[in-house]
Amino acid sequence: MSSKHILKLTALSAALAGAWGPALAQEEPSVAELSKPESVVSLGIGYWSDDRPRLGIYDGMPDKGAYGLLDALIIKRDDATGTWFTLDARYLGLDSREFRAEWLRQGDIGVSIEYNRIPYASPFTVMTATQGLGTSMQRVPTPSAPVLGEWQAGTVRDGWSAGFFKNLGGGTDFRVSLKNEHKEGGRLWGRGGAAEFAAEPIDSDTRQLEAVVSHAGKTFQIQGGYYGSSYTNRNSLVDTANINAAGTTLTNPFYLSLPLDNQAHQLYVNGAYNFTDRTRGTFKVAYTRATQDEDIPVGNGVPVFSGAPTHLDGRLDTTLAQLGVNSRATSNLSWLASLRYYNSDEKTPQQRVVQPAAGCGTCVDTTPLGFKTLTGRLEGTYRLTAGTSLIGGLEYSDQDRKVPFGNLNATGVDNQRYVPWRVELEELTYYVQGRRSLSETLNGSIRYGHSKRDGPDFTLTNEAQSDMINPIHIADRDRDKFRLMLDWSPLQALTLTFNAEYAKDEYGHSDTRPYGLRDGSATLYSIDAAYSISDNWQMTAWYSRDSAKATQLGQRAVNNGAAEAVKEANLEDIGDTFGAGLKGTIAPRLKGGIDLLYSKNVNKYPEAITLTGAGGVFPTVAGVTGAPLPDIENKMTRLKLYASYALQKHSEVRFDYWHELWQTNDWTWMFASGTPFTYGTTTDGTQVIQQPKQSANFFGVRYIYRMQ
Amino acid sequence: MKLAHLALLAALFSAGAAAQDKPARKDMVLNGDAKCTRCHNEGDDYPVLAIGKTKHGTMADARTPTCTSCHGESDSHINKPASATERPRPDRSFGKHSKTPLEERSAACLTCHQGGNRIQWQMSAHSNRDVACSSCHQIHAAHDKVRDKLTQPDTCFTCHKEQRAQINRPWHHPVPEGKMSCSSCHNVHGGNPKQLVRDSVTETCFTCHMEKRGPFVHNHPPVQEDCAICHQPHGTTIPSLLKARPPFLCQECHSHTSHPSQAGALPGGRTISNSLLGSVGRGCLTCHTNIHGSNSTQNSATAGRFRR
Repeated sequence: MSSKHILKLTALSAALAGAWGPALAQEEPSVAELSKPESVVSLGIGYWSDDRPRLGIYDGMPDKGAYGLLDALIIKRDDATGTWFTLDARYLGLDSREFRAEWLRQGDIGVSIEYNRIPYASPFTVMTATQGLGTSMQRVPTPSAPVLGEWQAGTVRDGWSAGFFKNLGGGTDFRVSLKNEHKEGGRLWGRGGAAEFAAEPIDSDTRQLEAVVSHAGKTFQIQGGYYGSSYTNRNSLVDTANINAAGTTLTNPFYLSLPLDNQAHQLYVNGAYNFTDRTRGTFKVAYTRATQDEDIPVGNGVPVFSGAPTHLDGRLDTTLAQLGVNSRATSNLSWLASLRYYNSDEKTPQQRVVQPAAGCGTCVDTTPLGFKTLTGRLEGTYRLTAGTSLIGGLEYSDQDRKVPFGNLNATGVDNQRYVPWRVELEELTYYVQGRRSLSETLNGSIRYGHSKRDGPDFTLTNEAQSDMINPIHIADRDRDKFRLMLDWSPLQALTLTFNAEYAKDEYGHSDTRPYGLRDGSATLYSIDAAYSISDNWQMTAWYSRDSAKATQLGQRAVNNGAAEAVKEANLEDIGDTFGAGLKGTIAPRLKGGIDLLYSKNVNKYPEAITLTGAGGVFPTVAGVTGAPLPDIENKMTRLKLYASYALQKHSEVRFDYWHELWQTNDWTWMFASGTPFTYGTTTDGTQVIQQPKQSANFFGVRYIYRMQ
Repeated sequence: MKLAHLALLAALFSAGAAAQDKPARKDMVLNGDAKCTRCHNEGDDYPVLAIGKTKHGTMADARTPTCTSCHGESDSHINKPASATERPRPDRSFGKHSKTPLEERSAACLTCHQGGNRIQWQMSAHSNRDVACSSCHQIHAAHDKVRDKLTQPDTCFTCHKEQRAQINRPWHHPVPEGKMSCSSCHNVHGGNPKQLVRDSVTETCFTCHMEKRGPFVHNHPPVQEDCAICHQPHGTTIPSLLKARPPFLCQECHSHTSHPSQAGALPGGRTISNSLLGSVGRGCLTCHTNIHGSNSTQNSATAGRFRR
């Protein structure tokens, strides 16, 4: 309880009511103001001084200009019946608008409806002469210097949801929700057959339906439900081709497949039982069947193997079974144990899809996969003293990894296996954590964990060099993780939090399998501070530095003039992020604040290339060669200033000024010289461009009205 | 006379009168709250009356708790023993400096909220890492920050500093923009691995990215196994939330001869050579464009390499 307010409202109200009678007791409604739901409506206008192609990708304000600012939170409650009506509408003047309306008789029945629009505006500008981008028929001009036009990639998701809730009594309730989301637009893609630009047409719907019955009693809780989802794509195949200067389609159509309609149905039961007031058991079982059996589209004139499927009959069955027990064995010792079985088993028939010629060196079959994982965990917590506890845990997982082998060569190796496989993977993890209150104002925790992953010999691939790698997700790995946290309140008004985290991975390798990721590490340091300068002013500040490093070895084969070589890349990602905020009361009617966010990221791509044969460092094709990758630096500064002035008791006007600055030297879409990357040599010369520097200012003014 | 002075005078007068008559105090928001609200109200650092604005303040709902439902009867707190130098704390308190064990704090909430998505709470990482309900939720506040997707990340970032840094990277899910929140993907009360809303990483991602679910004619194994093998969902400096850039990302698994083994390099000019295009633009994905899976049955080996 704070001592800063000498006069308590209770005393005030009681005094007014008791001593001065009904005349001043009318001040009592102020209690209602403090304890009854409040609504807020905000209406205004904002203006961005410049385009924001990088920082405005999701907020519906990517372009220079004026925007309407309209938000409303309407909350009404009928106290007599406990009936709520809530309307939460945000960004109504923007392309990112959303709202949710709910009618709820609390503890009995409720319905809701929701709309959410998520725009995504690609930060890149595409200069292209390719026609039909984002549709199912795209044409790439062959002239080397046609007139290029601007095309903007991006998508919009329009999601509608509806929900219903009913309390069935006795601790049992029923909920059902339905969501439909339409996604439309186009994204950067490629023609696949050559290094040529295309844009994937996106025009699809996803639907999700979930119906759940839940029961919660004092000792037993259970939840059972159905979750169904489906995906519908209005495009299934994209026809791309070159056209000549006259616009005539040339005889090289190239068809690109798209995701086909799919659906999944899941039944699940999730429950728990309190054996005693100290011991609780939990369980969960779920079964899901996902299918995809659409007509497989084929382009006009495209050669198809006679035995290739016309329907995939695709099916993925997923089974989950999970058991857990947790117990407080004594007042100082608690433990938990769990066992989890998760089996993702694709039942799609193995079928020959590609068989170009006699012999099957390049045949391709479908590859139904399967991952069956059994995980066990045991963890104990022992409280040494009131402020000191120790946690220790052990986790073991065993994974069976299924992949069919049907397309075998004379030596029994799968012709279409490009990456080594492991049929089993094991991982053992242990961890310890200590937590201690060092004093009334200082708490700390420290944690260390180690895990070791390995498995049997790798399955061979179709060539010797591919057999020399340890794929990252199934390689032997030793992982160490360390974490330290300190929470210190040296003053009543000041809190400081320190974090230090370090993780290191060592990946297995051998003389015959030396390549892949060798090691990686991640480090994080952060400090947070919160300070109450006075009753009216508070400030916060934080800084964090994170870095991730990876050493990756590989062999480069002789290729287009480049010599055989051993490569060692030492990749690095360093981030510095700083945030600060100050808010307070400037004058009785005037409040304000400032928020600052600064982020800087540096990515480094040094790669040592040790030549082991004759040839160049980089390939050279038609006079074009390569150059090492420069570092990339991204910097972002966002400053927000705001002030609100109370016009009356229930209304205020708010002013916002934001400044954004974005800088990058990202070479993703650049040639080595720094000029924009240009596709191909004989086609239209599509370019993808990113502005290296963006700066914009926002001015906003809003009228805000509060009511009950 | 200003209202405050008037009130002070009234309060003093009233206090004297009350000593004689001891009129019963009236509840202000919740049933039986008078014994608490005689001292506690919005003047506290943590205003208590605002609980009336929340679901916990809906008196028409018979399940609505009283102050003591959560804080305990707290007799010694209400009637400070003469021998005590400081007023004892309530039986259960929830603030940062509370001495109430974390399990007991959560137990107060779970008395009513153990069902639904919280059935597995006791098995969750949060529950077993010193996080209580009140570590994140503001029970008395009209606006519980963590239940609003715009402000929720601030609460999560109190502990998850790495994710706070990542979410401010150039490529991120629309969390800073308030269009998604941490709980869009994570059931922070649940017992799933990584406390995801669905039973696995892929099942969670497919709720929004269902086109990646397949099954495809040509599967790319990591897509079915775990999206996080290639993607960092909290934010990266690389388009499409990739963990590393091509060709390095692809070369974490692929060591094939010919162009797949190329070194990272920027081409000096226009080219159609796949030996020079592994890093620039979409890198390997320039040609292997359907990398999440392909449905082409064209009788070409390239169909199986996600190029059609």
